[in-house]
Amino acid sequence: MDGGQFEAMTSAATWASPPTRPPLIETLVSGVDRYNPSNVSILEDYLYHQIRSEEYDCLANLAILKLYQFNPDLYNPDVVINILIKALTSSPFPDFNLCISLLDERTAPAPSADEPDPLPQLLPLLTQLHALLHQCRFPAFWALYRSDNVEQLRDNYTVECVGFEDAVREVAVRAVKAAFTSIGSERLGTYLDLSKDDLKAYVEKLGWTLDASTGVVSIPPNPDNQIESTVVQENIQLPRTSSRNSSASDTRLISNVHLSRAHKSHRARSADVITCCIRCVN
Amino acid sequence: MSQQRKALWEADLDEDLQDVDLNLAIGTYGQNGLYEDAQSRIDEATLLAVQQQMAQQAAFAQIPDVVKRFIAHFHQAVLDNNLAEITVAYESGWNRLTEKFYSKTEWPEAEVIAPLVNDDQIFLVLYRELYYRHVYSRLSPDIDDRFHSYENSCELFNYLLNSDGPVPLELPEQWLWDIIDEFIYQFQSFCVWRSKVKSKTEEELSLLADANQVWSSYSVLNVLYSLIQKSKINEHLVALQEGKSAEEIAEIVGEYGTRPLYKLLGYFSIIGLLRVHSLLGDFTLALKVMENVELNQKSPFTRVTACHVTTYYYVGFCYIMLRRYPDAIRAFVSILNFILRMRQYHTRSYQYDQINKTADRMYALFAICNALSPTRVDDNISNIVKERYGEQFSKMSRGEEGIPAFEELFLYACPKFISANPPPYDDADLLAAYVEDHPVEPAQRHLSLFLSEVRAQAPVPTLRSFLKLYTSLDAKKLAGFLDADEEEMVQQLMVMKQSSRSVSRVDEKGLLDGQMISTSDLDFVINDNMVHIAESTVGRRYAGWFIRNTEHAQRVLDTLRASPLPALQKPTGPSAEGGKDAAPVAPAAPAGGKKVAWGSTKAA
Repeated sequence: MDGGQFEAMTSAATWASPPTRPPLIETLVSGVDRYNPSNVSILEDYLYHQIRSEEYDCLANLAILKLYQFNPDLYNPDVVINILIKALTSSPFPDFNLCISLLDERTAPAPSADEPDPLPQLLPLLTQLHALLHQCRFPAFWALYRSDNVEQLRDNYTVECVGFEDAVREVAVRAVKAAFTSIGSERLGTYLDLSKDDLKAYVEKLGWTLDASTGVVSIPPNPDNQIESTVVQENIQLPRTSSRNSSASDTRLISNVHLSRAHKSHRARSADVITCCIRCVN
Repeated sequence: MSQQRKALWEADLDEDLQDVDLNLAIGTYGQNGLYEDAQSRIDEATLLAVQQQMAQQAAFAQIPDVVKRFIAHFHQAVLDNNLAEITVAYESGWNRLTEKFYSKTEWPEAEVIAPLVNDDQIFLVLYRELYYRHVYSRLSPDIDDRFHSYENSCELFNYLLNSDGPVPLELPEQWLWDIIDEFIYQFQSFCVWRSKVKSKTEEELSLLADANQVWSSYSVLNVLYSLIQKSKINEHLVALQEGKSAEEIAEIVGEYGTRPLYKLLGYFSIIGLLRVHSLLGDFTLALKVMENVELNQKSPFTRVTACHVTTYYYVGFCYIMLRRYPDAIRAFVSILNFILRMRQYHTRSYQYDQINKTADRMYALFAICNALSPTRVDDNISNIVKERYGEQFSKMSRGEEGIPAFEELFLYACPKFISANPPPYDDADLLAAYVEDHPVEPAQRHLSLFLSEVRAQAPVPTLRSFLKLYTSLDAKKLAGFLDADEEEMVQQLMVMKQSSRSVSRVDEKGLLDGQMISTSDLDFVINDNMVHIAESTVGRRYAGWFIRNTEHAQRVLDTLRASPLPALQKPTGPSAEGGKDAAPVAPAAPAGGKKVAWGSTKAA
């Protein structure tokens, strides 16, 4: 919810390898041991640790689903549902769909026949919730989430997932702070599902300011809510090449053409790169 | 190179094939021991063996002599580790003989040609590799072919991985790539065939029930990971990036990794993993296994074009599924330009068709990415896309109504997805239930996930076209234009903002790394109820013109350099016109003028 958290979401490197990941899990995720079915319980324990401690490690959870994909007899619906709940709140990042991708059609019946598999019933709900979040339809999300239909999901799963509702609010906060410089507190309240005092406290915690007289919340500047008209100019780097093979160097030439924004500072260039900037005076 | 030298058996191809085969090896085969004893103690087994032997001999007699010579020659080239000769046999001989004799039937079975190669088991495994590849590409493989090609692959990889130390075999780069490529293709083909329960015969059903390890995902991954580990290819790639010297690298990669065969098989196995994980729908892991591979053509690890094309296709596709469209676009532009450039050198390659097909699918994927993340892109490529997929592209840029076009292009261009597990062939009841309630095909599952993403973005194009007209505008007014509820429209604006941001590789190393970037030329922000809009415009672009002309100048210069000196031409010219000859050469002709000058001399 604070700046650090947001920063974490913007860098794919921390997504692929969160600083909270223990070394043992890192070995499993990055090595061939991830395919060893006997390691599934280590990863499952780590998932429940994430559920309890507001941590999130998408790749480790995908590793569980991978093991389930290859070893249908390991399948544990509760684990799958918890993984999906964690992935839900990483919207707009594609984690939820990446998890679903690995859920192959099941050919074997649920492991214990006396207890029906809850996933087939909950999956459509989870998918619906995800779609609402992904489409920034936050009020609709809260309405569905609080409805009777979702009671089983709430009572059996999300209640165990520490900070689930705050994690949903963070999704909304990410969307709001990218699109708004100021927003009516009533509107914000419907996005966060918070009313008067709770909302006030939440806004304060975010470091945003609420103007009590107008009821407008102003959002501090960030890279996404500051817009600027720019002239995009070409920036072409020509690698100096001693190669006589003209076709190869041509290919390189073409592939290096990219557009860069005029106001961006250029990175230091290595000595063997000739930079050719053609400026356009408007 | 070696291609220009005609091989012995090639020369024979067009000749009359009547000359008598003198291969003495056949004479002795089939008569050693077994046949002599036959009269004394014939039992059923020997009778059977004899019959088989006779059938094989009959089959052997059917083989055209030129093919026999080819096989013997091929075998010798492999024995000598003569890469040039193996390449000729592999890339041209095999294909030419296939066209001539085996375009509609199998090549002779390995057992039949065994006497030609002194029963050399290693060669026979390699031969079967080609034999089955031919069956898969030209004919329709039956269940035996599928099982046996799997066994043969296992045998080959066992030999490579489990011999005492590295094997002393050398094969051309292209063949090594094809071995891995074909191995995965056959795996994928088997999975698709296996998933179709209804069309199976009783016999096939019972065979499938017993053979759940054949072509299993684990066995395929096992091969690829073993090759990667044996060759220490990841350590090798890391050392290269760290700028280690050749000696240091040799030390790191050890006795296997220093051999081209293992080094390349290791590298191709990484690409193979990228592909297998993509086929199984694990797009994150697919990119993760590539973390040590540098994606550029600047310092290519291999010169096999098909390998580059495959790499970029799957990397690009994975990026699409990770919603990283700018990265996908970059991958496609880079390889499609490469293919365009390489076209002139590849027209004769037997893989040209395959490369072209993949390129066409990448143009379709490029159109998808560009519709979802409209950015100014490479002119070359976007012109071709307009030509091929212009109709779909304009539909896809229109939101909701474009969804069928997305569907069409996605299904055409996506990898051939597979399920990790077979239908329950070992359980008749479950199998019946499976047939009854046939699960969704993998491609359809991935399609619907992708379309859910498209649907989420559906309002964006319309909003965009309105915002483009203003620098600031009241939200209520905008909602009025759109004939939409204001609150709903504000939510759509947030979606639009989200879809104009994407994670993208800036100069990170791994393919999964990246930073958030803005992908759209149109940006906006909402201040309470006012929408403020800023647009980035593109200055005039000179670079394309500049590059084209630089290239043109380079070509002119190359042509000039490659032309023989005019002075050398003099003595060959007719002496009588010697005086006349000198005249046209003297004036310094501009680019290309030289040729014209000669032409005119001759005409004169």
